[in-house]
Amino acid sequence: MSKNKVVGKSAVRVDGLDKVTGAARYVDDLDFGPGLLHAVVVTSPHAHARIVKIDTAAAEKMPGVVRVVTGKQCPYKFGLYMQDRFIFPQDRVRFVGEQVAAVIAESPEAALRAAKCVEVDYAPLPAVLSLDDALKKNAVVIHPDLGNYERVPWFFPRAGTNIAHWRKTRKGNVDQAFDEADYILEDTYTVPRYAHCPLETHAVTGLFDLAGRLTLWASSQSPYAQRGVMAVALKPFGLSHQDIRIITPYVGGGFGGKAGVSMEIIGAVLAIAMKGRPVKLHWTREQEFMNTSQRQGVVARIKMGVKKNGKIVALDHTLHWDAGASAEYGANVVNAVGLSATGPYSIPNVKIDSVCVYTNMPPCGAYRGFGYSEFHFGLESHITRIAQALGIDPVKMRTLNAIREGDTLAYGAKMNPGDLCKAIDRVAKEIGWGKKEKAAKAHKAIGKSLACFWKAPAMPPNASSAAYLKFNEDGSMNLAVSGMEIGQGFLTVMAQVASEVLSVPVNKIRVETPDTDRNAYEWQTVGSHVTWSCGNAVRSAAEEVKTKLIATVARAKKMKVADLYLAAECVKSRKDAAFALPFRDFVIDGIMRPDGRYVGGPIHGTGMFMPEFTSALGDPETSQGGHPNVHYTVGAAGLVLEVDKETGKLTVLKVALAVDVGQVINPDLVKGQVVGGILQGLATAMYEDIRFAADGRLLNPNFTDYKIPTTLDCPLEIVPIMLETPQPDGPFGARGVGEHTMIAAAPNIADAIADAVDVRLKTMPLTAEKVALAMRGIEYEDVKGDNLGFCFRGRPCDYCFDVGGAS
Amino acid sequence: MSIACEFDYAKAVSLKDALRLLARRVSGGAVPLAGGTDLVAWLRDGTAAPGRLVDIKGIKALCGIRLKAGQLWMGANTPFADIVESPLVRKHAPILVEAAGMAASVGVRNRATIAGNICSAVPCCDSGPALLVYGARIHVATSRGTKTIPAKRWFIGPRQTALPKGGIVTGISIPIAKHAGAFAKLKRYRGEDLAQASVAVRVDPSGNWQVAYGSVAPTPIRGPQVERVLKGVKKPDAALVKKAAALAETEVAPITDIRSSAVYRRMMVGVMLSRAIPLAVRRVSGRGPAYGINVLEEEAS
Repeated sequence: MSKNKVVGKSAVRVDGLDKVTGAARYVDDLDFGPGLLHAVVVTSPHAHARIVKIDTAAAEKMPGVVRVVTGKQCPYKFGLYMQDRFIFPQDRVRFVGEQVAAVIAESPEAALRAAKCVEVDYAPLPAVLSLDDALKKNAVVIHPDLGNYERVPWFFPRAGTNIAHWRKTRKGNVDQAFDEADYILEDTYTVPRYAHCPLETHAVTGLFDLAGRLTLWASSQSPYAQRGVMAVALKPFGLSHQDIRIITPYVGGGFGGKAGVSMEIIGAVLAIAMKGRPVKLHWTREQEFMNTSQRQGVVARIKMGVKKNGKIVALDHTLHWDAGASAEYGANVVNAVGLSATGPYSIPNVKIDSVCVYTNMPPCGAYRGFGYSEFHFGLESHITRIAQALGIDPVKMRTLNAIREGDTLAYGAKMNPGDLCKAIDRVAKEIGWGKKEKAAKAHKAIGKSLACFWKAPAMPPNASSAAYLKFNEDGSMNLAVSGMEIGQGFLTVMAQVASEVLSVPVNKIRVETPDTDRNAYEWQTVGSHVTWSCGNAVRSAAEEVKTKLIATVARAKKMKVADLYLAAECVKSRKDAAFALPFRDFVIDGIMRPDGRYVGGPIHGTGMFMPEFTSALGDPETSQGGHPNVHYTVGAAGLVLEVDKETGKLTVLKVALAVDVGQVINPDLVKGQVVGGILQGLATAMYEDIRFAADGRLLNPNFTDYKIPTTLDCPLEIVPIMLETPQPDGPFGARGVGEHTMIAAAPNIADAIADAVDVRLKTMPLTAEKVALAMRGIEYEDVKGDNLGFCFRGRPCDYCFDVGGAS
Repeated sequence: MSIACEFDYAKAVSLKDALRLLARRVSGGAVPLAGGTDLVAWLRDGTAAPGRLVDIKGIKALCGIRLKAGQLWMGANTPFADIVESPLVRKHAPILVEAAGMAASVGVRNRATIAGNICSAVPCCDSGPALLVYGARIHVATSRGTKTIPAKRWFIGPRQTALPKGGIVTGISIPIAKHAGAFAKLKRYRGEDLAQASVAVRVDPSGNWQVAYGSVAPTPIRGPQVERVLKGVKKPDAALVKKAAALAETEVAPITDIRSSAVYRRMMVGVMLSRAIPLAVRRVSGRGPAYGINVLEEEAS
């Protein structure tokens, strides 16, 4: 059916051999010679305290120490969407683990020893460690200068409170719709914080060379965004974009945690302090947990009104997010959810309040799913419960309400193409929906579930991509883009897009990781948007190359442009079957004409893409009027779960996931996204269980007590189903797929537990312990002890959504 | 990974050499280093700051698994992986094989020693319950001579043992007798984990039962009440197993921490026992699965 030769086929990963042979190099592998300096940061033991005095004298005298840097040397803030994060805090620390100083030394050990000798006097302040404390009347205000912070125009912070942003979406008449509804269910769901847990912890090596150029080798998803943020924050040092260069070698996992800027800016200022010598800063696993970004915790109140037939008529969805000490990135997660918390359903009357709240907890930011996993947990659980209450099949209820192309979204724009109903059908069939299965052993029970998901990239309206594509003498090519290979297969997919247009095989197109001096611009590798956005730029660059190839041949050989086409790395003619001029014969040196003169020259092309149809300027009170999202990718996932009725242990027997990707570019890579996403989703659902002490200390910043699944914990069977309803503005019809595959996992598990053993869990994670306790009628809240897993005090059902002093 | 504390490192060539190196005064004290899987982590996070590490890995007298005076003897340097693989241990102390196979991960088991495990003496120590049901003896050498300490008197408190100051564990011995048993471990997932709770059960052909628990008290502990109620019963029926499980829940003293609530630990001790007892009965009569399974996941109550 498809005319495509490369797109839609499983090309071998271009980075695969490097990675499996160990040839791939990461920041920590780069050799800077014996002159390399090592930095270790001094961190705050307090969640909230005034910095009275920092005495570095003893540390400076330690052997091997070169310099100690504190906030005195760089009193500057930074942030991607709002400048509320400090390179080094000035007057106060805002979370346990925040950097207050850094020691630079000749060896990591010398730096570590000296860091212990930096004396910091703190005057502890009352710490805001829960949403309740942050929002109460006369709450301690964590950012007294909030009203003066630079920010993007679509954030609405409340000066004098702990509210960093409040996204309101209003559609239809919710009150009237609830009056007319046949059934209303209202309940509270909670999702704690999570950590990204990349294999490679954050690392940066900075060199401020003698010519005054700052080069950073960073483990990052966003080299250009980093350069942009740093150019703003480091302006006082006399630096501008042209003075800053970010080089990103291979990255060992991102999941959103390496988007934007976190510790890299510390590396930058330490390098500036040590002109002429490279300085390396490499986070420990503990620091990776505590001082990069976490996924925000959320407590969500859902009130949903439906008709007897299951048609949803009204949704009132209120979400309070624990953003931690900084919301420079996290507030955009809150924003994204505030626009999309209807889930993939067509609901005529909608009220969403998504509120971003500062606390004295570690800062939060982007995490695969960007808030969607969090709100789908409650929303999808809620729909299943309503269906059951009405005696309707939960799958049929989803199909009845499924969003379709052209439907009006909560903020007024129209829904893009995507076949959710087909996804639901395919998954329901695959898991044998409706057929109750009996467990092989008496102490086990089997449950099934099906949940839907959607997600759009959350990006500024002018987020854009560019590509530069050039030929080499042998007909091979270099493709210079700045999307980041974070395991998803980006480099391979870009090579496939160029290959499809030009007929140059994928293995002859060299796509390397970014260098902001050399590679074309990319906003960030986030939001599952690079295949779509950068793919468009690459396609456009390839089309330019194609035009030049044909024009050159036409001119040199006096042939008609319209007769020429590309195939098998040659320019061929429709009029003359024998004519085939290989690219390698002319792409650099041109074509000699009979008189000895040459035509042509080095052939290259550039492409760019910006979604010119988007706008973030909706009405602040209703979100109506803008077009903030480029497109949603929709899908459904279902699973078969075995529950041990005595231990609560969960075994996922099978997962099926259907996602409408528009056009599959590489089936193996999409399958990789499906398997990886499901595993990550199941990890958050069943295993990852973050714990904080009552003073705000993270108690499990390690894999001893923060569990991510091993191969032994994988589902026994995963069935990826790829649907292809083309996205008209995507490369070959493709749209994003990456984050989406983890979104349904939590409600899938919650619903399957309910189906198997009739226990409804509304507080993540859904551990074996919680299942076993619930089956014996024990409230987990009563027995969990005094460490905080959650972002609020007390029981979820008692959480008060009144914003009190902040209203 | 950087270690901030400074220490001397000395590799002992003999037991005598090791005792001498441990006895020599040094600020911060001297500690033996075998597998290092606990010690190096403690050095890194600062919970240990010894002045000298005495590497005992090269001492031949502390290596190997053999039969000695009618006992199964395992040298202090024996890593968990060797216990899992050893035909001798599988024959004479199979419950320990089952426990060793559940300890940590493959990589850690290749390095971590059983003696190190009982010297670290954390409440969740995987070898503890198995050694308790076997009535194992810990062989200790000091500069004044050698002695043996029964496993039940070895564990004094969390990270506290009966090891005399300056002493060193040379090996562990287990009496040889016909028996069967099982080890069950509650973990948060199937991967490498510290026990949320564990249970070891041993029974001989006459129906004498030994039961021990991990992670439900300051140290691994025996279960005397359960042992008494099972005493002499070769094949406990369902009602007796249920009674034993209920007793188990009351004779343990777990705490609530980030790994589990106390109440879940209690409940699961009962469940583990009710799965381990029937398995031990099957095994003692020559039926049942080979040792080395995940008893909690694969067996039914």
